[in-house]
Amino acid sequence: MTPDTTPRSQLALRALVLLGPLVALLATGPAGHGPPWWLVVVVAALAGASAVAPDSPVGVAAGLVVLAWWAVSLQDDLPVSVAVAAVALTVGHVAALLASYGPRAMPLDRPTLLLWARRGALVLLTVPGAWLLARTVRGEPEQPGLWVVALATACVAIVGASVAIDLPDREESR
Amino acid sequence: MSGWHPTAALGRALVLGSFGLALALVAGEPGLVVLVAPFVVLGAVALVHRPRTTPAVAAALDHRTLPEGAGTTSRLTLTGAEEVEYVARAAARPPYLALRPSHGRVGRLLGPAGPPVVEVGAQRWGTRMAGEEKVALYAPWAGFRFGPVHLTADPLRVLPTTAAYDSRAEAPQPLGLVGANRSQRAGGGTELAGIRPFQAGDRLRRINWRVSLRTGDLHVVSTRAEEDTGVLLVVDALADQGVSGGVEGAASSMDLTVRAASAIAEHHVRRGDRVALRVIGRGAEQVGYGAGARHLRRIQDRLATVRVGDVPDADSITLGVTGGAVVVVLSPMLAPSVGTATATLVRRGLSVLVVDTLPPGATPPVAAGADPEVAALAWRMRLLERSVVLDRLGRLGCPVVPWRGPGTLDDVLRRLARRARQPRVVAR
Repeated sequence: MTPDTTPRSQLALRALVLLGPLVALLATGPAGHGPPWWLVVVVAALAGASAVAPDSPVGVAAGLVVLAWWAVSLQDDLPVSVAVAAVALTVGHVAALLASYGPRAMPLDRPTLLLWARRGALVLLTVPGAWLLARTVRGEPEQPGLWVVALATACVAIVGASVAIDLPDREESR
Repeated sequence: MSGWHPTAALGRALVLGSFGLALALVAGEPGLVVLVAPFVVLGAVALVHRPRTTPAVAAALDHRTLPEGAGTTSRLTLTGAEEVEYVARAAARPPYLALRPSHGRVGRLLGPAGPPVVEVGAQRWGTRMAGEEKVALYAPWAGFRFGPVHLTADPLRVLPTTAAYDSRAEAPQPLGLVGANRSQRAGGGTELAGIRPFQAGDRLRRINWRVSLRTGDLHVVSTRAEEDTGVLLVVDALADQGVSGGVEGAASSMDLTVRAASAIAEHHVRRGDRVALRVIGRGAEQVGYGAGARHLRRIQDRLATVRVGDVPDADSITLGVTGGAVVVVLSPMLAPSVGTATATLVRRGLSVLVVDTLPPGATPPVAAGADPEVAALAWRMRLLERSVVLDRLGRLGCPVVPWRGPGTLDDVLRRLARRARQPRVVAR
């Protein structure tokens, strides 16, 4: 391996950084609101830039565009594909986080990847719960702020659980 | 950059999470919360793990002196790193130093094994600056990063490898007290000089009884004395010709010169001879005559710090050679001043031999903007002048041999030894 070669782990992570926002954007298609081609190009360019420089703020822009398009798309229903989009965005985010641990030529070791795979899976537990809750409170016009409070409470609870689960791991690693 | 700073991942999680929640609130669309819920969790957990202590980072090499081809380890020392989860190191790549793993880019979770280490391999003699790197520490959940901290390099002295070299030839002019070289005078050595009649003072154990009985008179075995000799190594460091590929790659003229000098010095020190070093170059390094392992180490240390470059008074080089020494000039013989100094020593009657260290096929670097054809023509002319200098030295009686490892100097040293026993006229 030459000094400037990008290791396979970095290549895989950067591919996920590129694909995450794209998959999240294209997931509006099954709901009947497929994005226009120019929007796909814009998101692909932003995600590509984020894959090249995962430590840059450009990755935020790709996520914001995807969120905005989903805000436009979610008008009639709450499809399952929104959960797919959430998973794709989260995977892309975690991949960018891992890729930005060091320079492009630095490979990621297996224990680090496994740790973040566990953490990612733990965090993604919020998605089905939030989806079910959102589907339940959808169509409650008389209390528009109730579902937001409920979901925020659920998020806080999951944060507390994550911290509680994570603390023993840190103690063991010392 | 030092101190803890939020990472781009934390910023991304917080921006997307807050933007998604705000958008959901404004648009009254709960489905958006599904999209940003993981980001809210990731951002919140990272904020919870915000570190409170300030760690200190330092790195050190296990060894400061290495032989060519050997390696050492750069270790990271972290203090106050209780809240650090991940350590990333990105070491600089100085020339002729190999780094492992991943060319010095390494990171791992901070566990019982400690921070990741970087192995440093020395591929060429000289003083190398090793250990310059940037270190970044990450808090749990990668919300905060400490650094990257820039760590400065430490000098690593790389001793020239001892090229495979051995010689069975005797020194031309042994002129010392004790040693392994056969002297021209009789003495208490082991080399047979002849059998002669017994004289008062001869040791009884040297009586040859067979000859004594045959002749009727006592005869003793006489031997040659064994003496050490002085070997002066003259290293031409005026320029480095060719390209060096390190200890396992192609050798430049300075590679050949320094490694050959180290090998010859070790050989003669092992035999008990006194060895000195003179460097013709910018640093003008020199080591006086001496013997023993510590003296050999001094010579190798000096060779490792040789600075290549021209000297202002190159036309009048004085080597300060004393009589009786064997002078070994290691040079590509491209500088006229070195040829002149060598010829002067030969004319003084000293035993001088030249080890040609110009690598075959060596070409000089062409300056930017120079015409390559003109540069090639100039180089050919320089090689022609060099061949003239070598021919003239040969006609003066100074042998010139290319360095080829073991036995390089055997033949010429034997010829010099034979010639040293013959009477000759010496220019004063």
